[in-house]
Amino acid sequence: MFLEVKNLYKEFGGVVANAGISFGLEKGEIVGLIGPNGAGKTTLFNCIAGYYKPTSGKVLFKDKDITGWPAHRTARAGIGRTFQIIRMMERLTVEENVMVGAFCRINDREAARRDAQEILELVNLEEEANAHPTELPIATQKRIELARALAIEPELLTLDEIASGLNPLETIQIIDTLRGIHKEKNLTLLLTEHVMEFIMRISERIIVMAAGRKIAEGSPEEVARKEEVIKAYLGEKYAKGK
Amino acid sequence: MVGKMKAVVGILKDTFSFNDLPLSERIAFAAFLVFVFFFPWIVHASYPRVVMIRFLLFAMYGLGWNLIGGYGGQVDLGQAKNVGFGAFATALMITWWGVPFWITVPVGIIVAVAESFAVAYPMFRLRGHYFAIATLCVALVWQKLFLFWDWTGGARGVEIPIKSAPNFTYMQFGTIGYHYFIFALFMAEFLFMNWFRKSKMSYELQAVRDNEAAAASLGINVTWTKVKTYLITAAMGAVGGSFYAVYHLYIDPRCVMQLDLSILIAMTAMVGGAGSIWGPILGAAILIPLDMYLGALLGGKGFYGIDFIIYALIIMVIAAREPRGIWGIIERARRRGYVLRG
Amino acid sequence: MALAAEITASGILMGSIFALVALGLTLIFGVMNVVNFAHGEFLMIGMYSAFLISTFLSIEPLVSLPLVAVVGFLLGIISYYLLIRYLLRGPMIAQLFGTFGLMLFLRYLVMFILGPNPRVLYQGVLIGKSVSLSWFTFDISKLAAAGFSILLFVLVSWMIERTKLGRALRATSIDAEAAGYMGIDTEKMNALAWGIGGATAGIAGGLLANFYYITPTVGMLFIMIAFATVALGGFGSIRGAFIAGLIVGLIMMVAGYYLSQIKLAFVYLAYFLVVVLRPRGLFGW
Repeated sequence: MFLEVKNLYKEFGGVVANAGISFGLEKGEIVGLIGPNGAGKTTLFNCIAGYYKPTSGKVLFKDKDITGWPAHRTARAGIGRTFQIIRMMERLTVEENVMVGAFCRINDREAARRDAQEILELVNLEEEANAHPTELPIATQKRIELARALAIEPELLTLDEIASGLNPLETIQIIDTLRGIHKEKNLTLLLTEHVMEFIMRISERIIVMAAGRKIAEGSPEEVARKEEVIKAYLGEKYAKGK
Repeated sequence: MVGKMKAVVGILKDTFSFNDLPLSERIAFAAFLVFVFFFPWIVHASYPRVVMIRFLLFAMYGLGWNLIGGYGGQVDLGQAKNVGFGAFATALMITWWGVPFWITVPVGIIVAVAESFAVAYPMFRLRGHYFAIATLCVALVWQKLFLFWDWTGGARGVEIPIKSAPNFTYMQFGTIGYHYFIFALFMAEFLFMNWFRKSKMSYELQAVRDNEAAAASLGINVTWTKVKTYLITAAMGAVGGSFYAVYHLYIDPRCVMQLDLSILIAMTAMVGGAGSIWGPILGAAILIPLDMYLGALLGGKGFYGIDFIIYALIIMVIAAREPRGIWGIIERARRRGYVLRG
Repeated sequence: MALAAEITASGILMGSIFALVALGLTLIFGVMNVVNFAHGEFLMIGMYSAFLISTFLSIEPLVSLPLVAVVGFLLGIISYYLLIRYLLRGPMIAQLFGTFGLMLFLRYLVMFILGPNPRVLYQGVLIGKSVSLSWFTFDISKLAAAGFSILLFVLVSWMIERTKLGRALRATSIDAEAAGYMGIDTEKMNALAWGIGGATAGIAGGLLANFYYITPTVGMLFIMIAFATVALGGFGSIRGAFIAGLIVGLIMMVAGYYLSQIKLAFVYLAYFLVVVLRPRGLFGW
């Protein structure tokens, strides 16, 4: 298995954010992680990518135990990520932001620049190369973050609510962009999202979390019908009603 | 083999090339260089020459501080300790064992870098104000220690025996000689900064400055990046200290490791514009003559501290209106002009 | 044994004063996340105020304290409205440099106007007298200073915990935006924090003036002690400021007994260690 999470627990001084989460990803899959607010999705992402150290459990990537590895190490190992709240390097231009990513694998500045330009073309941002990210709309900044994450040549890309704040047109565009890079770069994608139209459409498989636990897994259609899932989102009444 | 040679050529090109900068900047800098180079021939009065030397010294200090403070975004208020390490290494080695100047310089650098490495990891767990105050503390502790220790001369300081100028072993000259000496050091540091600002490390450092979590997500080891930069800044400070020792021929912890020096160095870069290569030069160009002329003019008449009052006003205004310093004001005006034109 | 007791007592006395100085600093930080580098200068101006008021009006320094408090309060408020308010909009580096500039400004302004020579208060009910208790003697001025400091500390703490104004201040420290939504004028709260900070630092200075040399550079010494105290107690914690003040006072007196010249180095070292090993301090957030 490409990515395996085994019995992951994460506690914050008494509050259990992740309780015994286990799942796996095969190479090339697009898997979506959904759940109501407070389910622990971002915490799980942070544990995988290295921003938090799991309280217990294991994370295995390409058969290597990466549990507790710091963020920069998991990045170099091939896990890229985007953030729920956009994190731009404000004093750098768009191109320079992406170049920072390219520098993960490249040492030469001109080569990094060429790399950055290629990636910007891939996400349709060549024209904004010299702008400053904070002057651009949110949807564009999300694409910049995506481009930047791609620049480190990841094999697994974890996307934290990349469609939030986008209007329907932008959502469709980003689905196309993601499908494109998924194919072209042979990436594995793990997304978490609240925007249902987005995640149900793009994911091949869905994992549902609620209150720190995994409560369901399966194809989008299967999962949408499951009683536990409906209960988690809408409460017991609606679950029984179905 | 070819690859290595290409890399060296690349480094040389980066160091000496200014082509990525606008023509106006290049011309202004060229004019500045010419002015500084011919200065001792144009101006013969001794006080202005001394001011010029001090300006170049602080421009150099500022360039060094700019690395950790400007590009790195970590406000270091303890650079004086590194200056002190360099100054004392040079002064003590010359007075005790007659070691030639250029051998004392690497020793000063090693001391500064070693100490900085020792304190860096604990200090960089801190951010913002806490970090700044910690740097202050470390520098103050060292100053107190040097004042307390007898073997470094304590409060008496160290006096370097005067040799007849020009002396290239101990780098003692007349004013004109010192002018070209500090100018050479300044240029060396400036060229280094020119290389640095285009280097991979500069991008990584700025990424860390702007957003640590994002930088980490791109494979950057945040703490190590900060520590590396801090070490380079320390080395550059030590070089300045070594110069100071053979220039003044007398050093003591009160003057060479004092808090006011740390503040002045940081201010030079901040006021001029931290994070840009021109900032420290602009800052020094304003603050040093201000201090030397206003301070001398009014201090001589018994008005103590008026230069610091003006400094303080400048800092407060810049902090409140344009934290990016004077260079920031210029850039902002330029961009507005660009937007209007475009 | 007697020595240990005397050192301990000295430590507690000085510590109470340090606690008072730290109180203002931690309050300002708690309310708006700004480290006031000029806090030591507020204290210094308090010292000079006590000196000038009592000398020129020929009154007892102790009696000048209320006036000193007013001067400090105004100083804090004016600093806020003329400078700090604008710094809040900028990045943290700007705030740091802004208060730093204020520090330099106040220090050298005083030096410019009043000269660098130290002043000393010679006449006063508290000055130069001591009282003996069993084995050891206390300076009355230090005793009174400690007493007043504790009193003031309790007063301010009470105000913050029990009054409506105090609650508003605390609300602003926890979440300024939310406090705004609830109708609290956060600008006024910020200014008030600075006013209280200025007043408490000023009073501490006024008390210190009874037994300490008054120079324009005395602020530098006390700000570092205040930093160490606030760091130890926890930035933002009032209770922490008090306990930490006592601890720092004890450290200084003990270190001062053995290694007088570098006792300050111990304070700086203390700050460094606390902040590196336990950034939150004892009670901080």
